[in-house]
Amino acid sequence: MLYLSLVFVFILSYSFYFYGKKRALSLKFKKNENLSSLPDYYGYYVVLLVFFPAIIIWFFLLIFKSNFQEMFVMSPVLFPDVATWSSGKFGLIMNKISNLSIIVNLSEIDLTVGDKSILKMASESEIIAAKNLANFDKIYGWSNLTLFIILPVLLGFLATKSISGKLNAQPIVEKIISYVIKGSSYIAIFITFGIFFSLVFEAINFFRYVNFMDFFFNTAWNPNRAFVINASEGFDQEALKEAFGFVPLLTGTLLIASVAMLVAVPLGLLTAIYLAEYASSKVRDIAKPIIEILAGIPTVVYGFFAALSLAPFIKDVGEGVGLPVSAESALAAGLAMGVMIIPFVSSLSDDVIKAVPQSLREGSYAIGATKSETIKKVILPAALAGIMGSFLLAISRAIGETMIVVMAASLRANLTFNPLEPATTITTQIVTSLIGDVEFDNPKTLVAFALGLTLFVMTLILNIAAITIVKKYREKYE
Amino acid sequence: MVDQNSNYALQTSEVYVHYGKKMAINNVALNFPKNEVTSLIGPSGCGKSTFLRCLNRMNDVIDICNVKGKFLLNGNVDIYSPDIQVETLREKVGMVFQKPNPFPKTIYENVAYGPKIHGIASSQNELDEIVKDSLHRAGLYEEVKDRMDDIATGLSGGQQQRLCIARAIAIRPEIILMDEPCSALDPIATAKIEDLINELKENYTIIIVTHSMSQASRVSSKTAFFHLGNLVEYGETGKIFTKPDKEQTNDYITGRFG
Repeated sequence: MLYLSLVFVFILSYSFYFYGKKRALSLKFKKNENLSSLPDYYGYYVVLLVFFPAIIIWFFLLIFKSNFQEMFVMSPVLFPDVATWSSGKFGLIMNKISNLSIIVNLSEIDLTVGDKSILKMASESEIIAAKNLANFDKIYGWSNLTLFIILPVLLGFLATKSISGKLNAQPIVEKIISYVIKGSSYIAIFITFGIFFSLVFEAINFFRYVNFMDFFFNTAWNPNRAFVINASEGFDQEALKEAFGFVPLLTGTLLIASVAMLVAVPLGLLTAIYLAEYASSKVRDIAKPIIEILAGIPTVVYGFFAALSLAPFIKDVGEGVGLPVSAESALAAGLAMGVMIIPFVSSLSDDVIKAVPQSLREGSYAIGATKSETIKKVILPAALAGIMGSFLLAISRAIGETMIVVMAASLRANLTFNPLEPATTITTQIVTSLIGDVEFDNPKTLVAFALGLTLFVMTLILNIAAITIVKKYREKYE
Repeated sequence: MVDQNSNYALQTSEVYVHYGKKMAINNVALNFPKNEVTSLIGPSGCGKSTFLRCLNRMNDVIDICNVKGKFLLNGNVDIYSPDIQVETLREKVGMVFQKPNPFPKTIYENVAYGPKIHGIASSQNELDEIVKDSLHRAGLYEEVKDRMDDIATGLSGGQQQRLCIARAIAIRPEIILMDEPCSALDPIATAKIEDLINELKENYTIIIVTHSMSQASRVSSKTAFFHLGNLVEYGETGKIFTKPDKEQTNDYITGRFG
């Protein structure tokens, strides 16, 4: 019912647009008044006065629905001492009533033996409350709908009545719209800062337990060692020193991301060159979206592809040529990740190559350069900045990737640059530190925030670098 | 019939060009005398640029463009023959475009680009000489000699266009095609390019498309007037601009249409 009323508000606002505009036009043509704004703006003016109050009340009703529900069911008339109940008791009774409400309106035949005994144990006022609850949605919905019919219609007619030639609707409408637009962008910014600061504060908590230098420069990562201690004595400072060494996670992340880039850069760039310069427009129109699908495949699918197909294959091949390959190798995870980020490179590079002005191509052809010379010596250098930008975006995607590594690489920190060995990444360790019973009073869980913050800063720097480079490239031709 | 007279740098006949189904050039025959400047004039969309781009096969790049006709370079080389490599043709027939299009490279690299590709210079010294000489001929050397390693896109529009001319003559073509080379330039830069064209015709055959009739009369000895894909009139520039044979030509040059 609540959602139906939302649809109603939309339809109502839409029709009031025409009503307001019609009123303005009739003032102009029938009463020869000069309108201060364009007729459309009187329509918008009425729409905004109908829509926004209604939508604000709608959200209010939606968010506080459970509060209204409790007020409605737990009335002091049925339960005189309700004000003195603890919140625990209140919750229990509320639960009981909501269970009762399911069976309270059933006919005698449909009741099971269990249902009957529950009903018998319930007090009379509880039964009434349960019946009220069963009707609540209906009553609530209808009362909302009534509210929605009366309020917006009333507002709509009042707003329309207030239209006169002197009313300058345009600045009013533009002001309201500008507030709405501003508000939307501030919400996004606010959320970004909220995430950042929650990371910062929890990371500060972590660094109360673990020395800053130990975290960034130790080469051993054994978070579980932090718990091989006597609880009464608190955390063993020596053990903590050895537990959270960030270095193997960093090398693991870089190792897997490098493997991924070794796959994605050549394949992506050559694909981009083919699509932008050689493929007919028909092939391009079909091939480009298909390649972009690669980026849309859920990473968990890449994960089990890497873990179940790629890793055993690599192990077999490696053993075939006499190389020791672990079942969970950085190579498998990196290869799958590389395939995933091909479209980041190919699609963006394709766009920047296409954006190189045709006049440069013609200039090169006119000197008698072949197509491949033109691509190598004119187009790629001209598009280089944009292509580098696409690489950087792909790297930051690779560094932030989690699922593939969780499934295909390893959970064990391993300080190595050999892709045939297992390795783990920052993101993977964030996941493992937050799995299970999570209490935020010890470094094992708090480390997730320190890692998250480090990762955030790393990808932020890469993104800023990418954006700066792409921007520089754009300025060149515009 | 194509005249086998070797005084012509380029001879064309029975030229038809279609863009898809739309006809752009309809049975044009034109010969371009050696070491002279020929202007192609006419209203927008008359096919003069399309015709110019046939002469170094720049239309090959456009998929839907279909060119038919006879094109003879120096009286004996059929430029649309399958035996002809388009790159070697363009080595002989250079081109300068409407909008200056220097590569986003250094001034030196822009001019050296063609000689490097075609292997014209045997040594770095010779390459330096070619670059210097080309810039000199294009009247740009004095202005840029101290900043050969600057990026060419930082030059002014007129300088960029002269750089493009230097780039075109660096591979020592026989013919230079110019597609409205001054339309993006101010009057002073235009005057410089026109002076340059007058100097260049000593060594090159120049074919220039222009919208400016005064420019055509200043720089060219022969003029061809195009209208709706047809060659309406061709002759001595002086004659075309003073007493043209066709009324259409007269209407155009006196500004009655176009």
